[in-house]
Amino acid sequence: MDPVIGFSDHYFDQFERWITSMSYFLQSLLVGLLFICGAGILIVPSRRLMTGLLALQYIGVFLLVSVSWPLEIAVVKLVAGWMASAVLFLTYQNLPGSVIDDRIDVNLSGTFFKGFTALLIGISVFSLAPTALRWFLGATQQQVLGGLWLLGLGLLQLLLTRDSLRIIVGLLTVISGFEILYATLEASVLMTGLLAILNIGFAFLGSYLLMASNLEESL
Amino acid sequence: MSTPILWIFLPLLAAGTSLFFLRYRNLLRWSGLGFGVALVASAIVLPIGEVFKFLFWEVRLSDQLLIFGRRFILSGADRPIVILLFSLWLFWLLIMDPKLVPIQFIPLSLAGICLILTSYSVEPIFYGALFFAFLALIFVVLLSPPGKEPTPGVLRFLIFQILGILFILFAAWLASWIDLNTGNQVMLARSLLILALGFSFLLSVFPFISWISMVGEKNHPFLSGFIFNTYFLGVFLFGTRFILEGGWIGQGVNIQAPLQIAGVIMLGFGGFMAVFSKHLGRLMGAMIIAEIGRSLLAISLFQAGFPIYFGMVILQSISLGVWSLSLTQLQQGIHDLDFQSAAGAARLWPVITSGLLLGYFALAGVPLLGGFPIYWALGSGLSFFPLWINSVFVLSTLGLIFGGLRLLSVLTKHAGEESILILGEPFYRYLILGLNTLLILIGFLPQWIFGLTRTISELLLGS
Repeated sequence: MDPVIGFSDHYFDQFERWITSMSYFLQSLLVGLLFICGAGILIVPSRRLMTGLLALQYIGVFLLVSVSWPLEIAVVKLVAGWMASAVLFLTYQNLPGSVIDDRIDVNLSGTFFKGFTALLIGISVFSLAPTALRWFLGATQQQVLGGLWLLGLGLLQLLLTRDSLRIIVGLLTVISGFEILYATLEASVLMTGLLAILNIGFAFLGSYLLMASNLEESL
Repeated sequence: MSTPILWIFLPLLAAGTSLFFLRYRNLLRWSGLGFGVALVASAIVLPIGEVFKFLFWEVRLSDQLLIFGRRFILSGADRPIVILLFSLWLFWLLIMDPKLVPIQFIPLSLAGICLILTSYSVEPIFYGALFFAFLALIFVVLLSPPGKEPTPGVLRFLIFQILGILFILFAAWLASWIDLNTGNQVMLARSLLILALGFSFLLSVFPFISWISMVGEKNHPFLSGFIFNTYFLGVFLFGTRFILEGGWIGQGVNIQAPLQIAGVIMLGFGGFMAVFSKHLGRLMGAMIIAEIGRSLLAISLFQAGFPIYFGMVILQSISLGVWSLSLTQLQQGIHDLDFQSAAGAARLWPVITSGLLLGYFALAGVPLLGGFPIYWALGSGLSFFPLWINSVFVLSTLGLIFGGLRLLSVLTKHAGEESILILGEPFYRYLILGLNTLLILIGFLPQWIFGLTRTISELLLGS
């Protein structure tokens, strides 16, 4: 064998291994970011911060989806997610008295409880991830972990609140988790489009529900 | 031109456009009625797949539309469903009092009907689940009219529907795996379990029933009635098509027993709730829960059960319509819909309360009213199955009738005032009387209904 080719092959293999481990590391970072965002959405009392974290969460969703999908299709998730976050944020900003009401249910023991349950969800999903990997054959470990974490934290949000905005954000989180997992199974353009419209539809519904009580009665 | 464009996209466009004319209540209502008649007439008369002359154009109505590689099909065999859905919309529009019902009802209900048709017509059928998500969004807006806070029941409805849809999408993906691994029983069991969970959310099967009574209690009775009527019909149509087209029955799976167990649980709950309900809205919720149970039992009879199921749909629409209309009118006279506030209402508003009583008793299955022959046929079909199913069926019917008798005693209670008062416009009182007569007529002439529903079932199952 030509020593020059052998030498370059060796470095190419090393480079490939480095890329793989970097990708693994970056994906792990992303999953960590998703958990922090999901748990943050659950815990933070400020609605503004919550929508900010939601927007940040969509970056993680987009990057994890891009592992399975072409970048130009995966970016639809980011655009739709940011639009949804923007719609919620702008509605909330323009509501009368929104500055005073920004902090909802500020309660130390409640926050601690939510943080603790988020941690429990995190640990249980982490322990279940190897089993779940058998269900999602085309998915990486990080995709399964990220998807399930978002599903779990979103469900927790839905269980713990009666506030319509938080319920909508909880549903958006659940759908984000589902989208990460579903992206590893199905890559249809129509499905992508419909899920994107659904995300934006949720945001509009949330903004309508926030404003409904301030609107003029239709009777 | 194709049938999906004519019966889905055109009405959706009309619904969207009419949102700009909400100020003109009467114009919207009358044009809605005209449009509804046109839709029903087009579904009855227009030939599909043949060239015909329309004014000075030669038109051929294709039965499918291709969007991003997915087909939307509404063929001649689906004609009964199109007619049924648009007739339902027309019926609810006809009995709607524009002064008492939020005007958004007209465009949003039409959009809802179109989305039910979309989810029914899309191929592969699991895409229909996503359209149910949009339907849930629209119905949440419909149930939360401007000026009112969204109620907890509505938010719970939204959560349950979205979770159900996600489970169905996932089950559909797992089902595609079964095709590749034929005979993989573990995979089949997994996907069936997830599918059952998805449809339990969508159909509000126990333990996901709480939102029904919550919505019945806190939301506008007319809007709740419409949503209970059309949403569950949509889910049943989608579910039936999902099971038939997804090849779930062909996998050698026994879905009859789970359907019957779910049906019995729901019917039992409905009957039990009716005995203890002290609120007119919650009583409506109990009625609906029992109706979901009966529908599941009817569908569990497969071919023999489909005519019964469609008979139940027609009866449910008339009964729920007259109940909701009466309750909406009654709300003008009483401040709350609990039994205490409604005490003695029959002495003050006899026509309006007659609508409540007949609508309820027809759905409960009281002899000589419309529901009796239909539930009798269902009971006869179920008589070949275990005794416990039949026992719950009879006991729950008795529970529903007992709830109705309590309602009768509350409404006729002597509350001090005896004079008959006038509430609402005469047209709606005549409408209540007309619908009451119809419910009695169906009881005496059930062959009309069964003749119609047999034709619908044959057309659908033939496809």
